Amino acid sequence: MITLGHYLVVSGMLFSLGLAGVIARRNIIIVYMCLEMMLSAANLALVGFSRFHLTNGLPDYTAQSLVFFTITVAAAEVAVGLAIIVALFRSKQSVDVESVTKLQG
Amino acid sequence: MSVFTIEAGLALLGLALLLLEAFKPDISRRTLGLTAIAGTSLALVLFIFAPHDNASLPGFIQPWHQLDSLALFYKGFSLVITILVLWLTLECAPYLTRFTVDGKLAEMFSLPLIVCAGMMWMASARDLVTVFVALELVTVSFYVLVAFARKSAFSLEAGVKYLILGALSTGVLVYGIAWIYGATGTMSFDGIAKALANPATSKTTALFGAAVLLCGLGFKVAAAPFHMWVPDVYQGAPTPVTAFLSVGSKAAGFVVLTRALNAFMAEGSIIGSEIQALILVVGSLTVLLGSLPAMFQASVKRLLAYSSISHAGYLLLALACRESARFDLSSGGVVAFYLATYLPMTVLGFLGLGLMRANGLGEDIKDFTGLAKRNPLLALLMTLSFASLAGLPLTAGFLGKLFVFLGLADHGYWGALSCAVIAAAAGFYYYFKTILAMYTTEGTDVPALTFSGPAKAVAGALALAILILGVYPKPLQKVLTSDRPAVVAK
Repeated sequence: MITLGHYLVVSGMLFSLGLAGVIARRNIIIVYMCLEMMLSAANLALVGFSRFHLTNGLPDYTAQSLVFFTITVAAAEVAVGLAIIVALFRSKQSVDVESVTKLQG
Repeated sequence: MSVFTIEAGLALLGLALLLLEAFKPDISRRTLGLTAIAGTSLALVLFIFAPHDNASLPGFIQPWHQLDSLALFYKGFSLVITILVLWLTLECAPYLTRFTVDGKLAEMFSLPLIVCAGMMWMASARDLVTVFVALELVTVSFYVLVAFARKSAFSLEAGVKYLILGALSTGVLVYGIAWIYGATGTMSFDGIAKALANPATSKTTALFGAAVLLCGLGFKVAAAPFHMWVPDVYQGAPTPVTAFLSVGSKAAGFVVLTRALNAFMAEGSIIGSEIQALILVVGSLTVLLGSLPAMFQASVKRLLAYSSISHAGYLLLALACRESARFDLSSGGVVAFYLATYLPMTVLGFLGLGLMRANGLGEDIKDFTGLAKRNPLLALLMTLSFASLAGLPLTAGFLGKLFVFLGLADHGYWGALSCAVIAAAAGFYYYFKTILAMYTTEGTDVPALTFSGPAKAVAGALALAILILGVYPKPLQKVLTSDRPAVVAK
């Protein structure tokens, strides 16, 4: 029997993996993929909570509506983000995080 | 015409300008800019005369939208800052276009309108779904704006940094929302407050969710330890966008934070005291980590970025003080008051920076040397702006800080108060260091510096606002007191 706990553990693992990737990876594209993974982790948690939060025997759909918004927003974010990363690659011929260290105090 | 229609109209105008530029590429940027400014000004006028009660909103939006005094204040605030930013863009256009790919500024005039609509929606959000969607509308538009001058390596780098950290904060925010929902079973702020007052709610889950959610919002308002991106992004972004980020984006973050904390720290909340302690610690850290590094900055733009962090710290400290009954202002009211005083002084500061760039000068403190000789009026206005940012009495900045300090003293938060006082003292040092540079007479053969008539008028109006708010703040206080007749609590 799969319980709410199972979903939350998987979602927590996805979230931590994503966060670790954002901190440790040097390639901006991979960092960006890890960010998307964190959003998916949040979505999984939302759907899990929604499925196990029954009102009148039916799942509560508020959280699931947020999931659809998150997916849409993530798509918009990727569209804008990849455009900026491509612009960076054109000017520096690199997508390494080391290529963005000009601004320092 | 309802307030909601005005907001939707503003977003549509932004889209229309975007399409107009795409299909009629020979349209001049002056026409575009002036149309955007005229549209936003019209929206401001319509907004002032629109009915200000919940019943005036279209029925389908009422469950997710509210018009209380806080929402109305932030809506007006968003419109004013958008008009100023659009105008500043037009003023800075000659040198900004050198860094854009086709020498045009089209999206710089349409995206701020969309950002403005997003900020206005955020101000009246009643639940976390609306907050999330409006917040992302603002953030994604800002990704484009920050990286807009992409022939400049600095702007592009700032754009990439803002993109990565903004997306990270989005992920953290949604994860926090998920756990809050898990603990309380609802997304609406009223529902969360109600659920948290119920002792049966799991305290650990709620606390975890609230802390993660506050981390996500902390990124947006630049609270320590999530403030690292601010100096780089503010320095690299085009100056009008920096002003917009520093005032508009911050205000939008704080209205959400105010509403979230009102729910988390409501009467009888099971996690109220923990969250309050967290906000106090984060606020104290933020004022210090903003003010102390600012003393060692060579670039004025970067200095203003650090100062913006420390101002966020004061605002957080204001939010930690519940029920400051002293000025008829709730903690959210004190924050709104502080932001209202913060708007003219920050915009004036960035206006000065933009004018210096337009005259071919840099943004370092050494570029300010002898400014009083080049243009006494600009030097005087910048002095007023910096003195107000430091919190000199009789300027607007003083009253905002005074309210925060008195609130902290009333509650006996002496540790936080001492951090705030140290930060304010450091503030006096670095602001007056810049002012001093303006009035030194070394390098006497400096060329004169000119600025246009409209620029003088706007700068003068901002300076006047600083002085008036500093001497006679009563009208603003009245707008923010919660027993306003126009407000219908639902």
